[in-house]
Amino acid sequence: MSTTKAAATDPSPGSPTIPLIDADRVTKVYKSGTIALENVSLRVREGEFVCLVGPSGCGKSTLLRVIAGLGSITSGKVLVKGLPPDRARRELADTAFVFQDATLMPWRNVMGNVELPLELRGVSRVERRQAAKEALELVGLSAVAKSYPRELSGGMRMRVSLARALAARPRLLLMDEPFGAVDEITRQHLNGEVLRICALAGWTVVFVTHNVFEAVYLSNRILVLSRQPGRVVAELAVELPYPRLPEVRTSAAYGHLVGQVIQLLN
Amino acid sequence: MAAKTDEQGVTLAAPSFASAPSSARRITLASRLQTVAPPIVAFGLLIGAWEVFVRWQQIPVYLLPPPSTVMTVAFARWGDLLTSVSTTFTAALAGLGMSIIVGITAALVMSQNKLLERSLYPYAVTLQTIPIIAVAPLIIIWFGAGTPAVIIIAFLISLFPMISNTAAGLTSTDHNLISMFELYNANWWQRIVKLKLPFALPYIMTGLRTSSGLAIIGAIVGEFVGGIGGQRGGLGYVLTAAAIRLDMPYLFAAAFASALLGISIFMVVSLIQKLLLGHWHESAIAREG
Repeated sequence: MSTTKAAATDPSPGSPTIPLIDADRVTKVYKSGTIALENVSLRVREGEFVCLVGPSGCGKSTLLRVIAGLGSITSGKVLVKGLPPDRARRELADTAFVFQDATLMPWRNVMGNVELPLELRGVSRVERRQAAKEALELVGLSAVAKSYPRELSGGMRMRVSLARALAARPRLLLMDEPFGAVDEITRQHLNGEVLRICALAGWTVVFVTHNVFEAVYLSNRILVLSRQPGRVVAELAVELPYPRLPEVRTSAAYGHLVGQVIQLLN
Repeated sequence: MAAKTDEQGVTLAAPSFASAPSSARRITLASRLQTVAPPIVAFGLLIGAWEVFVRWQQIPVYLLPPPSTVMTVAFARWGDLLTSVSTTFTAALAGLGMSIIVGITAALVMSQNKLLERSLYPYAVTLQTIPIIAVAPLIIIWFGAGTPAVIIIAFLISLFPMISNTAAGLTSTDHNLISMFELYNANWWQRIVKLKLPFALPYIMTGLRTSSGLAIIGAIVGEFVGGIGGQRGGLGYVLTAAAIRLDMPYLFAAAFASALLGISIFMVVSLIQKLLLGHWHESAIAREG
C-alpha cells in the first residue's frame, strides 16, 4: 500500500500505480461567496476505505459530488482513474453513490429500485433482475423484494439503497453520511454490513461522516476537515486489522484512535 | 401478504407490518360507515323537510315542486334525461381528454425550456382568469353551434389546472434522485419517463380532479349558449328549455342529474387516483392511517 511515488509525474491512465482518485489542491467557491473547499488534496488508492470526517458545512459532501462528476470546482484538479470526473462518469460508469437519505423511488418496489442503475445502462431485463436479486440477497432483503419503500423502516430503506449501489457493480463507492438518519443500534449493524459487503465486492470507498466512532470503525484512513473554508486539517492511518468485528469497538487501540480524531476536530 | 410472511425466513422483523393491513381494512369499513352515514341522513332530512314545507305552504309547482313530483317526472322521462346526461358527459370527456393531453404536453415543454416557460406561463394563467362565459359566444361564432364548440369550451375551462399542477409536479422532483439519474448517465427520455413524470403523477391527479369537475361545468355552459337542441340536447340545453317552459319538475330533475354526473366523475377520478397511486403515495393512502 506504500506506492505513493506517482505524485510528481503524470502516469498514463490504466497503470496500476495511478491512484483511483487524485484530487489536487481543489478549491470550490459558491456563487454566494462561500468557500466550500480550499486547497483540499486527496489521493485514494484502489481498495482503500477512506473516511472524511468534519463538522457539517465543511464541504465534505461537495467534495464527494465533485468526485462523482456531479459538481464543478473553481480551481485545482480532480482525476478519477486519470480522467476528469464527468468523463469518468460517462465513459467508465463504475462509480456508485449512496446519499444521505435512501433516495428511493416511492412508485417502484424494492426490486424495481435496485434494478434502476442497470436499467438506465440498458442491461437486459433478465440480467438486471438477476443482479438485483443477488444484491438484495447480499444485504439480506430478499424477502421484501416486492414491498414498496413506504412499507420499510429507515434502516431497511438504507439497505435497499446499498443494494442498488451494489447492483451497479461499482469499483468506487461514494457514501455521503448514509447512516446519519438511522438510530445508533441500526447504524452499528449497517456499519458491519458495509464492511462485510466491501470485503466481498472489493470496493474502494470514500465515506463522509460526522461520526467519529463510525469513521474509526470503518476506514483505514481518515481525513479530518475543518469548517468554512473546508480544509484538510489532518490525515490519520487507522491500523486496526480487518475483518473488524463489533468487539473492536471495545479495544484500547480503537478508543485511542477515536480520542485522537476528536482532538483533531477541536 | 400471507405468502410473503411464509417466505420471510429469519432475517426481518416484517410480520409487524405484514399483519397490519387486514386489521386496518376492518377499521376502514367501520369508519367508512361513520363517514358515509351522516351526510345520507342529513340529505334525507332535508328532502323530507322540503316535501313537508311545500305541501304545508301549498307552494305552486311552477315556483317550487315537491321532491316527490321531481322524482315522478324524473322516472317518467328517464330515457330523455339519460340521453341528455350522455350527450353532456361525452362532450365533457372529450374536452377533458384534450386538456389532459395538451396540459401535460405544455407543462413538459415548459419544464424543458426556461425561456419558453417565462414567455408562455403568464398566458396560461391569464387563460384561467378569463370568465369562460365571456369567450363562449366567440367560440360559437368560430366553430358554429354544436358539439365541437361545446367540447372546446369544456377543454378551455379545464386546461389550466392540468398545466399548473403538472408544471408544479415537474419542478419538484427530488434533487438527490435527479443527481442519481445523472450519475448513472440517464438520457433525456429516461429522465422524463422514469423520473419526472412518475414523480409528477400525484400532482397530475390533483389537477385531474379539479379539471374533471370544470369540464362538466364547461360542457353545460357551452350547451347553454350553443349546444344542439331537440331530442339529443345535453343538460345545458334541457335546463334552458325547461326554464323557458317553466317546467319546474323537469328543471329540477335535470339539475339533480347534473349534480349526479359531477359526483360520479369525481368518484371515477378518485378511483383512478387510488389505482395509480394507492401503493405508494400518501394522497391515496391517507385514510388508512
